[in-house]
Amino acid sequence: MTAPAAAITLYGNLRSRAMRPLWLLREMGVPFEFVPVIQAYRLADPSAPGAPFNTADPAFRALNTQGQVPILRDGTQVLTESMAITLHLARTRGGPLAPANAAEDGEALQWGFVAISALEAPSLDILMTCDAGRQDTPDGQTVLATASAALMRPLARIEQHLQGRDWLMGGRFTVADIMVEECLRYAQPHPPALAPFPMVRAWLERCQSRPIFRTLMQEREAETL
Amino acid sequence: MLTIYGTLRSRTTRAVWTAEELGLPYRREKVAFAASVADPLAEDAPLNTASPAFLRVNPMGQLPALEDDGLCLGESLAICFYMARKAGGPVAPASVAEEAEMLQWAFLAASTIEPQAIEILYTFMGGQADTEGGKARIAAAADKLQRPFRRLDTHLESQDWLVGNRFTVADIVMEETVRYVAAAPGLIESFPALKRWYDRCQARPAFQAMWAMRNAE
Repeated sequence: MTAPAAAITLYGNLRSRAMRPLWLLREMGVPFEFVPVIQAYRLADPSAPGAPFNTADPAFRALNTQGQVPILRDGTQVLTESMAITLHLARTRGGPLAPANAAEDGEALQWGFVAISALEAPSLDILMTCDAGRQDTPDGQTVLATASAALMRPLARIEQHLQGRDWLMGGRFTVADIMVEECLRYAQPHPPALAPFPMVRAWLERCQSRPIFRTLMQEREAETL
Repeated sequence: MLTIYGTLRSRTTRAVWTAEELGLPYRREKVAFAASVADPLAEDAPLNTASPAFLRVNPMGQLPALEDDGLCLGESLAICFYMARKAGGPVAPASVAEEAEMLQWAFLAASTIEPQAIEILYTFMGGQADTEGGKARIAAAADKLQRPFRRLDTHLESQDWLVGNRFTVADIVMEETVRYVAAAPGLIESFPALKRWYDRCQARPAFQAMWAMRNAE
């Protein structure tokens, strides 16, 4: 498939799933415009005069009625769903981070769906529990235990897959690593969930040692919206 | 030849239906859930999700799995899209823009609809739909389905199919996810355009053929 030369605009912020396509775009070195949009639920009064551009803003809702971030505008096409956006950018812009053939196309999709269906929800449960400071409450402990248990099977599968491999597919860092890392990152505030999986932890460290990831995390810390 | 592993009492239905709609030659290897086999590791046990021979194809031990010329894939939605790209034709994406739109629907199905749909399905299958706890779980899941179902309903008010004004793999993966909700009375029906599309999908001859095979299995 050929790469359209359409202009890319990504809407979101660094404390959202926009990190997935943002990291990919930076790694690919593709020019794009980034429009900061904050989730309305993070604001006391999203409709107040002077409130930062947020997902409840009519101008944002006009792009997409779901009011979620990220949103991608690629030429005239508007897309939601961070994983679809990320895979679309990889497939259309190519390069070493993109799938190189039909088999890798299939593998990249597989990792995207593993991340969404098996990793993201329990990892988010961990993140939200720890972010809210509830990890030492009885309810919080229950959530952490349930989420860690749910992660066991997919993590055991990834652990096995990483035996003798540095990256998830193709012997190189790709969009598949970004999609899976960005879901598993949410589980890291609770180290016991990852403790039984040394290969997974070493791979996470490899992903997170990439200069572009480190820069993004610094920008994330400094982000004011 | 491309092989689809799984029983039709699993998400394998979406892979088989997709292959049938695409006219893609395939072979199916029946794989049972280990939980439904008395001694899954016995020598004379039927091929099941705990069999070492199956775990070589899908180390996750989940159904369905695909094998094609040395490539092994898990994840039903990835399998459907892989086959669509391989076969091409009207059921497959016709452009990168269409493919992006179809993936958007597939990820919406996987992230927002399927977990709730499975919760509803399992509550019914476990015979708990009439218990207090079961009713509460179904109500909570139905509540979370309102937003994605409204989005689908609105989208389908002005078109017969999800993408490209024709039946595609996007309709297959979405219908197969929505179908798990059907046990809950009235839920799909409360979104009229969604319900009409759901019926259109199931009226397809390839769906009917797959469903007959499933019921015979």
